[in-house]
Amino acid sequence: MSETPKLTARNVDVWYGPKKAIDNVSIDIDNGLVTAFIGPSGCGKSTFLRSLNRMNDTIADARVTGEIKLDGEDIYAGTMDVVALRARVGMVFQKPNPFPKSIFENVAYGPRIHGLAQGKGEMDLIVEKALIRAGLWDEVKDRLTDAGTALSGGQQQRLCIARAIAVSPEVILMDEPCSALDPIATAKIEELIDELKDNYAIVIVTHSMQQAARVSQRTAFFHLGSMVEYGETSQVFTNPREERTKDYITGRYG
Amino acid sequence: MTRGSNPGPWQSPEMTRRLARRHAAEKRFRLFGMGAIGLSLAFLALLLVIMLKNGLGGLDWSFLSGSDSTDPSLAGVWGATKGSFLTMVVTLALSFPMGVLAAIYLEEFAPRNRWVDWIEVSINNLAAVPSIIFGLLGLAVFINTFHLPRSSPVVGGLTLALMTMPVIVISGRNAIKAVPPSIRDAALAIGASRVQTVFHHVLPLALPGILTGTIIGMARALGETAPLLMIGMRAFVASPPQGFTDPSSVLPMQIFLWSDEIDRAFVVNTSAAIIVLLVFLLAMNGLAIYLRNKFEVRW
Repeated sequence: MSETPKLTARNVDVWYGPKKAIDNVSIDIDNGLVTAFIGPSGCGKSTFLRSLNRMNDTIADARVTGEIKLDGEDIYAGTMDVVALRARVGMVFQKPNPFPKSIFENVAYGPRIHGLAQGKGEMDLIVEKALIRAGLWDEVKDRLTDAGTALSGGQQQRLCIARAIAVSPEVILMDEPCSALDPIATAKIEELIDELKDNYAIVIVTHSMQQAARVSQRTAFFHLGSMVEYGETSQVFTNPREERTKDYITGRYG
Repeated sequence: MTRGSNPGPWQSPEMTRRLARRHAAEKRFRLFGMGAIGLSLAFLALLLVIMLKNGLGGLDWSFLSGSDSTDPSLAGVWGATKGSFLTMVVTLALSFPMGVLAAIYLEEFAPRNRWVDWIEVSINNLAAVPSIIFGLLGLAVFINTFHLPRSSPVVGGLTLALMTMPVIVISGRNAIKAVPPSIRDAALAIGASRVQTVFHHVLPLALPGILTGTIIGMARALGETAPLLMIGMRAFVASPPQGFTDPSSVLPMQIFLWSDEIDRAFVVNTSAAIIVLLVFLLAMNGLAIYLRNKFEVRW
């Protein structure tokens, strides 16, 4: 934990109406590595992830208290532009959700609304680069005008990753990105995550402890809305400090 | 116990009877379903046959190009058709954008509170209000308060727009609600604003559904007579309207007026006018269905 962290959360509570879903979570997330959130269903890991780019705003009675900072800037401050924030903190969802438009349009949409490309040539370049980085270019370069929804599930998810990185984010949040995919597609996405981590801070929520162990350098274990333990992945998995973490990892519950 | 010594439930005579009963129920349902469709089609065919038999003889160029007259052989439907067309233009131009914007606001932007609940209930009630009440409203507001010209397509269109709008709002909201939330998440998560999310992604996907509701609303407005009675569109108009503010009639009103005439020759005119109204309606629906299929997005 040498440099200053990319994202810092301090004493974060998340409420859904009267129900407290996240209780007093503090965490630092660093650049250039993958941070995994693990824990049993309903433990709040996805909720906490969605509070990092304010996607919880779309839920009517969700409320976040505490402090979350991106590069030292409070993302819940009145001066924070949520549109710019979500471009800087991209997100990939559990179920691949490409737009029902062409493959090209799926990737070009973000750069277009943010005005990142001057002219057609530059847009083509952005789209190509994003698709190359997402490891999808060779499979789709001859059919960019085909519908994004016609791709296979794994390709759709990589298209969604390309769409997210096309707007040059600094952080990428992934909410169980492989849970709807078969093992081969999962392996491809994991490989991709590993390649992407040098340029972004990546946070991944996963149900699979093997996946967390494979792709992440840091792991946070959530249980019943609290963060029980956070540390180097190797330490959390081989030598957990907390009894509850140990029970979960050894399959005692969850 | 040896294998196969127990026959299980599948060979018993009772099971055979039960299966037979289920198959019979299946057959019965198909029969009833086909009967229901057949009956409604039969009535439609009967109506068409009667109309064509009575009216086809009256359908000639002078009937299609003429306007109302006291002489049945000179009377035509052009004036009423043009009146219907102008009225529909006003209705569509007002109710479609207003209805769609209201639906978008209520579904995507409005906060969930008691006021919005009230508005929702009011719109649902509005869709169920008898049409003649809208006529009274049109008379009181557009003619008596704003002094717009009586019997004109603009007043008719405004009145029918009030009636059509709630239908479009309700169907529009349902269509917007049916767009999967994952699409909104996708757009918001790459930094689209809420307005961009709605207009770039949600609305295009909801449009086919909205158009379906609009067809239903417009078809109802086209056939409406009662509210137009109240705003004076039953006047005898012997020349086709030249604009939105000219006195005019509409097709259903013309049919109603002719059906009231004593002269037997008007029976032919009435049936012929019904044929014209049905063709108008079919053309309108056909156009809407074409547009809907054009905008339909396949997944």
